[in-house]
Amino acid sequence: MAAETQSIPTVHPAAHDEEEDHRDQLMFDPRPREEMNHMVMDAMTHTTPRYWLAVGILGAIVAVCLFGMWGYMIATGMGLAGIRKPVYWGVFIVLLVFWIGISHAGTFVSAILRVFKAEFRRPFTRAAELMTTFGLAAGALYPLVHLGRVWVFYWMIPYPNARWLWPNFRSPLVWDFLAITTYLLSSTIYLFLPLIPDLAMARDRTTGWRHFIYKTLSLGWRGTEAEWFRLRKAISIFAVAIIPVMFSVHTIVSWDFAVAQTAAWNSTIFGPYFIIGAILSGVSAVVTILIILRSTMKHMDYFIRPEHIDALGKLLLVFSMAWGYFFFNDYMVSWYGGYEAVRQILTLHASGPSAWIWYCMLIFNIGIPWLTLWNKKIRRTPWAMFIITLLINVGMFFERYTIIPMTLGHQRMPFDWGEYSPRLPEISIGIGSLALFMLLYLLASRVIPLVPVWEVQEGQEAHSLRKVGKTTVPSVAELE
Amino acid sequence: MAEEQYPEKWGMVIDQDICTGCQACVTACSMENNIPFTGEEEVAYGRGMHWLRIQRYWEGEYPEVSPTHTPMMCQQCGHAPCEPVCPVFATVHSESESINLQVYNRCIGTRYCANNCPYIARSFNWFDYEVPAPMNYYLNPSVTVRRRGVMEKCTFCVQRIYAGQETAKKEGRALRDGDVVPACAQACPVDAIIFGDLTDPNSRVSQAARSERGYTQLEELGTAPRVTYLKGGGTYGG
Amino acid sequence: MSEIISRRNFLKLAGLGATAAVLTGCGPAARYVTRNPYYDMPEYTQTGLSTYFATTCRECPAGCGLIMRTFEGRAIKAEGNPAHPVNGGKLCSRGLTGVQGLYNPDRFKSAVQRPQRGDPAVEPVEWDAALQVVKDALNGPAGEVAFLLGLNQDHLADLVTQLAETIGAPAPLRYGALGMFEGRATLVKAAEQVFGQAVFPYFDIAGADLVVSFGANFLEAWLSPVAYSRAYGRFRRAEPLKKRGYLVSFEARRSLTSGSADEWYPVVPGSEGLLAAALGKLLSESSGFSAVMDYAAVDVQAACAAAGIEPEKLEALAQLIARAERPLFLPGGNALGHADGLAAAVNILALNAGRGNFGVPGGVYLTTSPAGTATLTDLRGLVDRMRTGQVSTLFIHGCNPVFELPPTLGFTQALANVKTVVSFASFPDETALQADYVLPDHTPLEGWGYQYTLAGVDRPVLSGAQPVVVPLYETRATADMLLSAGKLPYKDEVEFIQSVLEDKVGQPDANISGTDLPSLWAKYLQAGGWWLAAPSLSAPEKNFADGASTAQPQAAGSGQFHLMTYPTLFGDGSGANRPWLQETPDPATTVMWNSWVEINPKTAEELGLHDDDIVKVRSEAGEVEAVVYLYPAIRPDTVAIPFGQGHTALGRWAERRGCNPAELLKVTMNEAGDLAFGDTLVTITPTGKRRPIARAESRVGVYGDH
Repeated sequence: MAAETQSIPTVHPAAHDEEEDHRDQLMFDPRPREEMNHMVMDAMTHTTPRYWLAVGILGAIVAVCLFGMWGYMIATGMGLAGIRKPVYWGVFIVLLVFWIGISHAGTFVSAILRVFKAEFRRPFTRAAELMTTFGLAAGALYPLVHLGRVWVFYWMIPYPNARWLWPNFRSPLVWDFLAITTYLLSSTIYLFLPLIPDLAMARDRTTGWRHFIYKTLSLGWRGTEAEWFRLRKAISIFAVAIIPVMFSVHTIVSWDFAVAQTAAWNSTIFGPYFIIGAILSGVSAVVTILIILRSTMKHMDYFIRPEHIDALGKLLLVFSMAWGYFFFNDYMVSWYGGYEAVRQILTLHASGPSAWIWYCMLIFNIGIPWLTLWNKKIRRTPWAMFIITLLINVGMFFERYTIIPMTLGHQRMPFDWGEYSPRLPEISIGIGSLALFMLLYLLASRVIPLVPVWEVQEGQEAHSLRKVGKTTVPSVAELE
Repeated sequence: MAEEQYPEKWGMVIDQDICTGCQACVTACSMENNIPFTGEEEVAYGRGMHWLRIQRYWEGEYPEVSPTHTPMMCQQCGHAPCEPVCPVFATVHSESESINLQVYNRCIGTRYCANNCPYIARSFNWFDYEVPAPMNYYLNPSVTVRRRGVMEKCTFCVQRIYAGQETAKKEGRALRDGDVVPACAQACPVDAIIFGDLTDPNSRVSQAARSERGYTQLEELGTAPRVTYLKGGGTYGG
Repeated sequence: MSEIISRRNFLKLAGLGATAAVLTGCGPAARYVTRNPYYDMPEYTQTGLSTYFATTCRECPAGCGLIMRTFEGRAIKAEGNPAHPVNGGKLCSRGLTGVQGLYNPDRFKSAVQRPQRGDPAVEPVEWDAALQVVKDALNGPAGEVAFLLGLNQDHLADLVTQLAETIGAPAPLRYGALGMFEGRATLVKAAEQVFGQAVFPYFDIAGADLVVSFGANFLEAWLSPVAYSRAYGRFRRAEPLKKRGYLVSFEARRSLTSGSADEWYPVVPGSEGLLAAALGKLLSESSGFSAVMDYAAVDVQAACAAAGIEPEKLEALAQLIARAERPLFLPGGNALGHADGLAAAVNILALNAGRGNFGVPGGVYLTTSPAGTATLTDLRGLVDRMRTGQVSTLFIHGCNPVFELPPTLGFTQALANVKTVVSFASFPDETALQADYVLPDHTPLEGWGYQYTLAGVDRPVLSGAQPVVVPLYETRATADMLLSAGKLPYKDEVEFIQSVLEDKVGQPDANISGTDLPSLWAKYLQAGGWWLAAPSLSAPEKNFADGASTAQPQAAGSGQFHLMTYPTLFGDGSGANRPWLQETPDPATTVMWNSWVEINPKTAEELGLHDDDIVKVRSEAGEVEAVVYLYPAIRPDTVAIPFGQGHTALGRWAERRGCNPAELLKVTMNEAGDLAFGDTLVTITPTGKRRPIARAESRVGVYGDH
């Protein structure tokens, strides 16, 4: 979009709007660097009683709902949760997939848009990357939460031990474990690299404990030409390198299911289907968070504008369609396979006691986005987008719910079919992990510069509007 | 001490024509293997710990409706779907008995094996099940009492296989057909469950497994079950 | 020998010694048994080795042989005695959970006195004082003592009979719900009419090639279920030169036995005798059947119409029977528990007589032991004596009449006029709750005894029972308590048992032999009893010629539905306190931990009922609330409630579960004096409440909607 250099040189209202879009997306109202620094620092250090109230409430929820409930469940047994024979995986695994999915978009928005030089990305890459890290932190809890004996979870780690036992590398759970760990590490590094100049900026403008933290974290950044050169190199290497990691992690999560012989899980399309689903839910989550940031944090309306949300809204529409395609593909191939057990499962998805979940999934993931996201006005209305993106995530939660407990409950032996419904631990820990995510984000918003100031400035410097014929188009100067 | 070789391949044949569905095997299995009872609430929610259950399906419409009984337990698959998915090798194939073992001490409770078992043969210890004293006196010392958070399943009464092997060794002879009888086959009043060594072509189980009525459960999955079922139904004189 | 101890070998080494020590370390008290039991010998104390005792299962009257595995003084597992002629190494669910009775935490732990009848609160009483109560009663006016025993034909029954004779008291009554549902007295009476001897017939199912069961649920509860199940297994299995047996069943609901049948005919309850007569008439027209009855008055069409079966089907069946080499006809309790039950039993036995299969493989034999089971009429006599104050002391052992008998018989009310009620129960059951003294007997696995096995075996068996563990609590053998009055010339229980065994000294052709009592006794304990080495039952004589009964099925009272009541895994209801029996799914419905009322789905639809709805089941005698189970294999005009649940006492696992159908049974007897429980009619009223019951089957998948 941003790189569009040829436009049809006619003047009509639509073209005019597009020009305005570009102006806003690319922030052609540059402010001095120092002012932007101040705005970011101000947003970071500005706390109200409401903020502390929110931190307090979220902290309490995390302590009670997440760790309290989890501790109680560890002490008592997994039986507190709603899982049963034959639905051995329930909402915990749904939430694992859900959070891993959410964490996808951070990297996607940042790395893919960076590699493809989608210039509108600049103000919100940091917010998205943070979402990846914290989403992973919330998601990585679940493989532990759902373990029957979590106190020996380290047996999944390949480490030398007296038993001479390694984990079973044939097990998708070990792949999972390795993939999630890899992704957590690499996305954290990827978050950290572009953060260094901003940390240095913060270092120079703070005192006390903050100064100490930024001093340590900014690794002595001075902004020399050599440092910039290496940083840019590192970022571009990482941006390219993390993309396959990102694709692999969700593919591997999908293999937890696709590799099993469980009917309606053993679908070859699950890898890309899960990735598309993850990106759809993740980009939705990015939009949700941007809207929240914009409305709650000082000065953020300068950096995050409806035009950005508009651009992301277009992306969402594309991904919703892609998801629809993969859903249909998975459904049709499974159905066409003609295996009786699968046929029964597909029938029960749409007509069983939990069929409303399946229909909600379709409405939230296909119906609502397809009907609304065509409309620019809606795309630019933050509250509308807030609701739509939230619903998409609910729909994606339902998608995983359909795939996991609703499928497990109706396998090949009808005598043993069983309905699953979550109980208190699932609900409590689910809320707790959402609170954990929000708490981490809330705390980070006051410690980490949420806007990569240097990237914004870089963009503003590199972009210009050029007249081509009768219209103006944005152009980008090659920086690297 | 050299590693001893036991060549036996243990197998089972269940004759559905003879099986009446009386549930004696279910109780026998539970009493032999220290399977905890869970109470009405839990068992109603599908948390029963039975290693062996009898699937009762109805066929036909009244008055031609008739039940079929399929005792279902771990099929001791040759290509067991539960084995590759366990991240910590808690469910493994034993080389000496050629059966599928669950190592309770190793299990961390991912429950993946149970999801991947097409026979839904596995039970999970949702809680620590207390057996009120003095009822714990009857717990079988040859079978581990499982704690919460681990998976369990039919072992073909592996403790009895060991006992049979030890007895045979002590008496300085090879194992004979009938030396090893799991609790279910021992109790079965109609003798519909036959257990023995499949490598011995003359054993009762081998002969029964060759029956033309024989089939294995979910054959299409290629799990190579070690349990053969003999189809039921017949006519007078047939 | 390699340096490394492999995991396997380590386990093996550990298995030999260490595991036992480690595992039993879990049990707090097990290792510190200080009392020395009678049988305790040094070799039994070896750590890590199991000791096996041969004894007899006394959970029901069948008398199966047990091999109890014990380990360091604890009973671990009940296994069948492979040498035993009744069960041949097999066991039913009930027997397998015997140890849950032995180690039941709700047991009486010592003799207790109950200040207030019906109040669970009890006070411990010294054994000396308790024995004084027994002695006083036995030394008092003999006519005022009454004994009520369970169905088991065991040493206690013999001893009490002797005791009653000696002191001049009325003979003990032996009664139980199982006998009631089998129509035991009716069967014996019919045998007397047809064969001339009042004994239990033994049916050689294994030798038959076609079995026609008239409501005989011989695979779950009838007479000797394990023995008959074993026989069924052999009957069904096709072997070289042996056909696969073919089972035909007439029963209103498809029970476990009918479920195994190749042909099942849901007939109107009570029409079995009529059908037997019709079948006799059809058969008497074929060759190979010499009618012992006059079938002239039988109208086949009318019989079929009354039974709700198409005449063509009955004719086809008659042809099948005519073709069969060794057909066998079983008179089950469901056919006998009707007003014309005796006639039905006679009609069915006469079919066997007609085919002449007496004393041949697949035929009928006569057992040798007397079958002194009380009828409900006898019991009503006792109740009348109690009510009129003629009984001052009532001794109750091995049965639970307050639970098992129809309340309309008035047993509980009559108890109020009995001065002293002494129960020997091990568990706090409903009857013990009404007893002034509970002097707990040893549970079967702790006590001595023997048991005659009557109905399910082809030879006389004196099945031996011995303690397999030290008595857990301060309990005493009931026999010892009764002997303490000094009325009989035996020092203790064991001496009495040995006196019975004395007859067998020197007797050849038995499984054990001994020239003197001590050696025979030792072998008796080791073998688990005494029995003849070969089948030795006599064949009945044909001495019967009478008209076939053509009594129409008659259900008493008014109501929409016939009520069927049948015993389950819980037997006479005393199994309800075994948690693993509760958690063993019911064979037909897979329900656990509860009872239910079976209704045909079509009927339920008409009544607007669904699974798990609670309904009021009302008969003339009473009403109960039960949970609906849609049972596809029951007549639409019949509902069925299993017997055994609905306890108001009996401990934590039994109480407040399901309903007791005995409350619906009206006290009407058949000609033999047995309860005509099958004639009960009930109405069903929805209550609007629901209670999901636990079942092993899925609620969705079974009926095939998807």
